[in-house]
Amino acid sequence: MSLVDALHNKPYRVKEIGGPDDERRRLLDLGITPGEELAVVQSVPFGDPLVVMVRGMRLALRRREAAWISLQ
Amino acid sequence: MSSVEAGLPATATEANTLHTPEFSSQLATVCLAGAPNAGKTALMNALTGGSFHTANYPGVTVTLSRGKSKSEFGPQLTLVDLPGVHSTSASSPEEELSCSVIEGRHPSVQPDALIIAVDATQLERHLRFASFVVRQNKPSVIALTMMDLLPRTQQSVNVRKLEAALGLPVIPVDGRTGWGAAELLSSLYAVLKQPAHKPSTLAILPDDPVLSYEALRDLLSSSEALTHKNLFVLADDSFTAKIDRVVLDRYFGFPIFFAALVGLFSSIFWAARPFMDLIDWLFSRTGQVLVSILPESPLSHFVAEGVVGGVGAVAVFFPQIVILFFLMTLLEDSGYLARGAALVDRPLSYLGLHGRSFVPMLSGFACAIPAVLAARTIPSRRERLLTIWILPLMSCSARLPVYALLLAALLPGAAWKAGLALGAIYVLSLMTGALVAGLVSRFILKKRSASLLAMEMPKYRKPLLRPTLRMTWSRSSGYLRRAGMPIIVISSILWLLSNFGLGSNQPVTNDGPKPRIVTSSDLDHSFAAQVGQTLEPALHPMGVDWRVGVGLISAFAAREVFVSTMAIVFHVADDAESQQAGLLENMRSSTFGATDRKIFTPSTIIGLIVFFFFSLQCLSTVAVVRSETNSWGLAGLQLLFYTGIGYLLASATVMGLRLLGVS
Repeated sequence: MSLVDALHNKPYRVKEIGGPDDERRRLLDLGITPGEELAVVQSVPFGDPLVVMVRGMRLALRRREAAWISLQ
Repeated sequence: MSSVEAGLPATATEANTLHTPEFSSQLATVCLAGAPNAGKTALMNALTGGSFHTANYPGVTVTLSRGKSKSEFGPQLTLVDLPGVHSTSASSPEEELSCSVIEGRHPSVQPDALIIAVDATQLERHLRFASFVVRQNKPSVIALTMMDLLPRTQQSVNVRKLEAALGLPVIPVDGRTGWGAAELLSSLYAVLKQPAHKPSTLAILPDDPVLSYEALRDLLSSSEALTHKNLFVLADDSFTAKIDRVVLDRYFGFPIFFAALVGLFSSIFWAARPFMDLIDWLFSRTGQVLVSILPESPLSHFVAEGVVGGVGAVAVFFPQIVILFFLMTLLEDSGYLARGAALVDRPLSYLGLHGRSFVPMLSGFACAIPAVLAARTIPSRRERLLTIWILPLMSCSARLPVYALLLAALLPGAAWKAGLALGAIYVLSLMTGALVAGLVSRFILKKRSASLLAMEMPKYRKPLLRPTLRMTWSRSSGYLRRAGMPIIVISSILWLLSNFGLGSNQPVTNDGPKPRIVTSSDLDHSFAAQVGQTLEPALHPMGVDWRVGVGLISAFAAREVFVSTMAIVFHVADDAESQQAGLLENMRSSTFGATDRKIFTPSTIIGLIVFFFFSLQCLSTVAVVRSETNSWGLAGLQLLFYTGIGYLLASATVMGLRLLGVS
């Protein structure tokens, strides 16, 4: 499943990151690495972007970006 | 003025010290590096005692800011604040700039040492960036920020153990209060005198993100430098979570956002009003006093009316700018601005813009110049340029006096109707901006470059008053420097054009019986009038005569100059109190030449409103766009496009209304 389908406030582990190379590298640099724990902690009106808690940071990710992140 | 200025090394002595490796009496260069939101800017503020931005909004430090360390800390150092870096595979120009300085590739900034700002609540992420810095083998010190937020995230950091684990000096600081600044600098002097010979653990971390994050987590837990008070490793901040649940709520999120915007705007307009009136009065009074005390000559009129008037045209908007910057700084520092950007990202990205585009668009309703500067924080070039492209459409406050005059002429005796129409103009300007952005992004800039939102939502913090005020001042004075000179120069030139001319009625004479040079009748023979009269055929479609043309030309100095020029061309007596009423009266009765055809009819007034709505009548904006995009292309195209569209649509409106039977 991808991060877009994650239930809110439930921790998941990242399986892998897809997407174009530059964007993938940037998400990895931000600390969204395979095996890392994250959770969708807040929804925004219209459900986009998602607010994700990862490595001590609240990060707003567009649904398009979240779709590149697959979960275990 | 602050001791800090933006830009690169200016003096020869500074340039010489840049390559001096040892720490001597000359100033060493120390760069502040860190991930966005690490508190670098606040730290810079504390170290230099200068006025700096302490924003809680990723990516505020966008140019290199320089300053000298306060002498009370010891020998002075040159400090350079580098833009925050999310990713060392640099994507934005700002990140690339920082990386080139850190890696020693930058032609003019060569750091002798680095201060790495590290957010204590996000050690893994910030230390990963620190490892990139430390790998360059420059003397480095870690400044550990946000220590006060650790309890909120249920974590605790043992500074001594962290220092031992990293093999680097780690100094806890709070840039907002200055706590720890002295200790930070004394440890910096120590590493400058005696660089460590043993490489730091950070320097041997792998470059691969997966491996290095893994190694960092092991290092932090095995050394017991970082302990989690509960096992939930995500370390969310419950205070921030609570506020986000309200301000990003599915139902309340947008109402709260719009309430914040309405609050911001009403204070820009209502709170600034008395100050603007005062400044307006002061400058016109100064002009009158100068005319009466200076010896009668064209020069004294130029000084009193051209120059003082030009300065006044800038100064009158200053209260609005100060209030705008103050409130924006508060919103940024508290952390709310990033939420606002997240809320509007979806509608804006649909138009080809970015969530962060909303900050420049918002500022654009006060003035396009700070708005163009604010567009720097938008990461992708395409989205940045598209944002800059639509900024001239935002109804800036210089249009307000023009609309006020035209609406009063259009809807006499019904203040509420004029107010409603003004509100409609503001909403329409936003919608037109959205439409233009959508069209340009669909049909012209078709190729979508890589664009990521991936924006940090900083933890909410209570903004501190003093840093907020300092920042407000530094941004406002920056606006004055940036916008002030062009407006003053252009309005002085336009004053000269409006008051001097060729021909028999040339008014510049000191031996005539009445050597006044600034009278309305003289304006009829000025260069500006000649230009206006030459252009008159082009003004026919808009249904106005050359006198309005002179007003439109003078408005290129600043749009509000239109009103004062109209007062001159329509021969309003020099009576400050009744100027608006007198002008309206004269406008209503004015006719084309000797005929009895009225100039200001409903159709021509609406046409003029349409013209001001679109036209880029602000040469200062053109100048700022040029310097921000580093080319005349976009700036020139913008000027031609908007002014051309304004002219065509205004003409079409007048002709269309006349076809419909509106006079």
